[in-house]
Amino acid sequence: MIWALLGLHLIGCAVIAGIGDGLGNRVFAVAAGAPLVTSIWVIGRVGDANATTAQITWVAGLDLELAFRVGPLAALLTLVVSGIGVLVFGYAAGYFANGIAGVGRFTATLLAFSTAMVGLVWADSIWTLFVFWELTSITSFLLVGYKNTDADARLAARRALLITVAGGLVLLAGLVIMADSAGTGRLSEMTNIGGTSAAVASVLVLVAAATKSAQIPFHVWLPGAMAAPTPVSAYLHSATMVKAGVVLVALAGPIVGDAAPWTPLGISFGLGSMLWGAIGALRHRDAKLILAWGTISQLGLMVALLSVGSAKATFAAIGLLAAHAVFKAALFMVVGEIDVRTGTRRIDELSGLRASMPLTFAVALVSAASMAGLPPTLGFPAKEAAVEAALGLAGAEKAVLLSGVIAGSVLTVAYTTRLMIGLFGSKPDHTASAVAPSRLAMAIPIGILGVSTLAGFVGLGWVTTAVRAAAVQLNPSAEVYSLLRWPGLTTALFISTGIIAGGLAVGVVLARQTMSEPRAVGAQAVDELVAGVLHAARWTTGRVQHGSLPVYLVTMTVVATFAAVPFALGIDTSAVYLSDNGTQLVLAVLAVAGAVASTTVTSRLGAALALGAVGLAVAGLFVAHGAPDLALTQLLVETVVVVGFVLGLGHLHRRFPAADQVWVGVRLTVAGMLGVAVGAALIGSSSAPVGVPPVEDFVAESQTTGGGNNVVNVILTDMRALDTLGEIMVLVIVAVGILALAAPSRDETPALEGEPT
Amino acid sequence: MSLALVFAVAGLVSVGTFLVTSRSLSRIVLGFSMLGHAAVLALLASGGPAGDPPLADQSDLETIANPLPQALSLTAIVISFGLTLFLLALARRQHLLTGGDLVEDDLEDRRIAYEADDNDEIGSAA
Repeated sequence: MIWALLGLHLIGCAVIAGIGDGLGNRVFAVAAGAPLVTSIWVIGRVGDANATTAQITWVAGLDLELAFRVGPLAALLTLVVSGIGVLVFGYAAGYFANGIAGVGRFTATLLAFSTAMVGLVWADSIWTLFVFWELTSITSFLLVGYKNTDADARLAARRALLITVAGGLVLLAGLVIMADSAGTGRLSEMTNIGGTSAAVASVLVLVAAATKSAQIPFHVWLPGAMAAPTPVSAYLHSATMVKAGVVLVALAGPIVGDAAPWTPLGISFGLGSMLWGAIGALRHRDAKLILAWGTISQLGLMVALLSVGSAKATFAAIGLLAAHAVFKAALFMVVGEIDVRTGTRRIDELSGLRASMPLTFAVALVSAASMAGLPPTLGFPAKEAAVEAALGLAGAEKAVLLSGVIAGSVLTVAYTTRLMIGLFGSKPDHTASAVAPSRLAMAIPIGILGVSTLAGFVGLGWVTTAVRAAAVQLNPSAEVYSLLRWPGLTTALFISTGIIAGGLAVGVVLARQTMSEPRAVGAQAVDELVAGVLHAARWTTGRVQHGSLPVYLVTMTVVATFAAVPFALGIDTSAVYLSDNGTQLVLAVLAVAGAVASTTVTSRLGAALALGAVGLAVAGLFVAHGAPDLALTQLLVETVVVVGFVLGLGHLHRRFPAADQVWVGVRLTVAGMLGVAVGAALIGSSSAPVGVPPVEDFVAESQTTGGGNNVVNVILTDMRALDTLGEIMVLVIVAVGILALAAPSRDETPALEGEPT
Repeated sequence: MSLALVFAVAGLVSVGTFLVTSRSLSRIVLGFSMLGHAAVLALLASGGPAGDPPLADQSDLETIANPLPQALSLTAIVISFGLTLFLLALARRQHLLTGGDLVEDDLEDRRIAYEADDNDEIGSAA
């Protein structure tokens, strides 16, 4: 079934990518098919403790496999991902005008994202998890940058990609450590690991989760991502992609949760984001940005709860996750509808919508109540559970988490109040905003989500079963908890009442204030960092890759000279003597003299002859060393090379061009230095001989197994026969190359002497 | 180690390096040849002192030169021979195409260096 559903998604993507543009807005109905079937299948599995699995092994020894496991947590998350996916596709059909260009590309990408997300929540093998994690990054990059003619959207997409993909690399490192320590790549088989590796892995996993879930300081990509069309924001940045980080924290908690950095770091990320996100939501006037910052805040609470890891906290976090997905998607859709129908989504430009958009207002009110944690909505029992969870802790953890949750919740109620007043209230100095007619395709998904928030409260038993089963998968002690419609007069209830009263007061006051909108400092910093890296790269390339062959060679020569220093340090002067014999001394001087001569003569023929002289001197050195085979080869080769020079360069001007002699001083210096360095390295290498050359063994071997008396020949044709064959191949290739280079092609007229003298 | 051989190697390396850093392709070819000679001599010198030719039936086992560096050097000679000829063919080809044998700076590299100096924002959306 798992394969069938994934296949259905992929077929949907392929079909839409192929023919989607011709379908107009009907394409969204096609796209909704796979998520719809998935939600129907999964709804029966929600709350079921048994898991459905599927796997294909690729490389067994390396644990490389595609492995999926739909347990209770995955089932709940799938319902969120696919269920809201269906609604988003429906909503998009109303949001976009019929027949816009690129609708096929957009829808295919959105469905591909949905597929990646489903794969991510189903993944059991960490490698599968990683692959789908990266796929969500890539598809979300494409979706954020959907308006690819808009420079801001492109920048925002690049920021999102850089941060989330960097997080992906961190995640890979963390997963590798986890798999290595646990001895298995299956999440469902991993048990708690300890020690240093758990500590390192816990930090890596939390950082990865923070990049994906837009936790401070990695949150800077999320507000910019609001450049995407609203259906994308409603889907990616409320219900699904940003939840991936939360899911990761949930899954990794039972494995690395006992490591020392886990809880403090998680709480820091979580509470920091919860407070800063809420403050951000209070300062902005673009309703979509308010919701985006609110998302940062809400995700912070979930991360904090999950990193605490107590059964109650886990239970509360799962409950919040479900509630948040429903109300945040609804609120994004509401804002999108307002944007489409009035032409703006800024809360200081809207007025009188309560009367002109009553149904939208009703859904917004219900969803906002859920966001603020008010009954009778799904958000209330979830928020109560969170406060209870904080109360249930002890010591410093309790103090920090409880004060953080209270402060964050007060701010949450405040920004919710301010948002609702701003969106729907009547402003005395504004005329009522003009409102375009409602579109059914937008209204229906919004209505369904609004009803779901209420139905979740009414049918709390079913929700509890689903949430509890998911929480038990992570922490078996969560068995005892329930979401309660009416908790009774508990401490938590009193705290919640205080939170709501305080938040309402702050919200009402702030709604009347006009605050300066914050600048996107973090996003700007990221952009500057990227620009700086690009500039540094260009600068380095410009310096290093300047295009002059002599300068490259001089640089390499200088580096090679320094490489000789270690050899020079090990020189033992007692291993040195003047020469093996007098002939050698004379020939060495002759060879160097010939070489020097070749640099000073100005005629090409003279230089070629000087090279020939050097070759002869070297051949003589071979004889003096006791290597007649080398001398014979050298003489043969030298003859052919001189002929080659005459043939190859004969048509060139007789003299070298004057422009050739550049930088003579520098070149002489580095060349001299390299010569000294090589000489020193040579002496140094012979100063510490290791053993004696096995000359006798070679002689014996060549006579017995090679059957020859010329040891050098036997080595070449017998002991190293394969190498010699390779050498012959090189010569053949060179010959073919020379033939090809030398044959003039038809459209090539031999150039005349055109070079300067 | 024989200082005469070290001197030959050092001298040939210096001259070879000086030649390959010039602008004329024919001088570069000369330089490569010199470097090839130097490499072979270095290989030979590092294998031990001079001696009699390594012929099992004619030389005294006590005094023959180390045969292994000789075998390796033979390969080196042949390969540097092939390389030299190939470079000569390239030089000839360049002459056919451009009429000269000067190695010019790479224009694309110069452009990048120029733009980097100019602080020009190539390839950046910022």
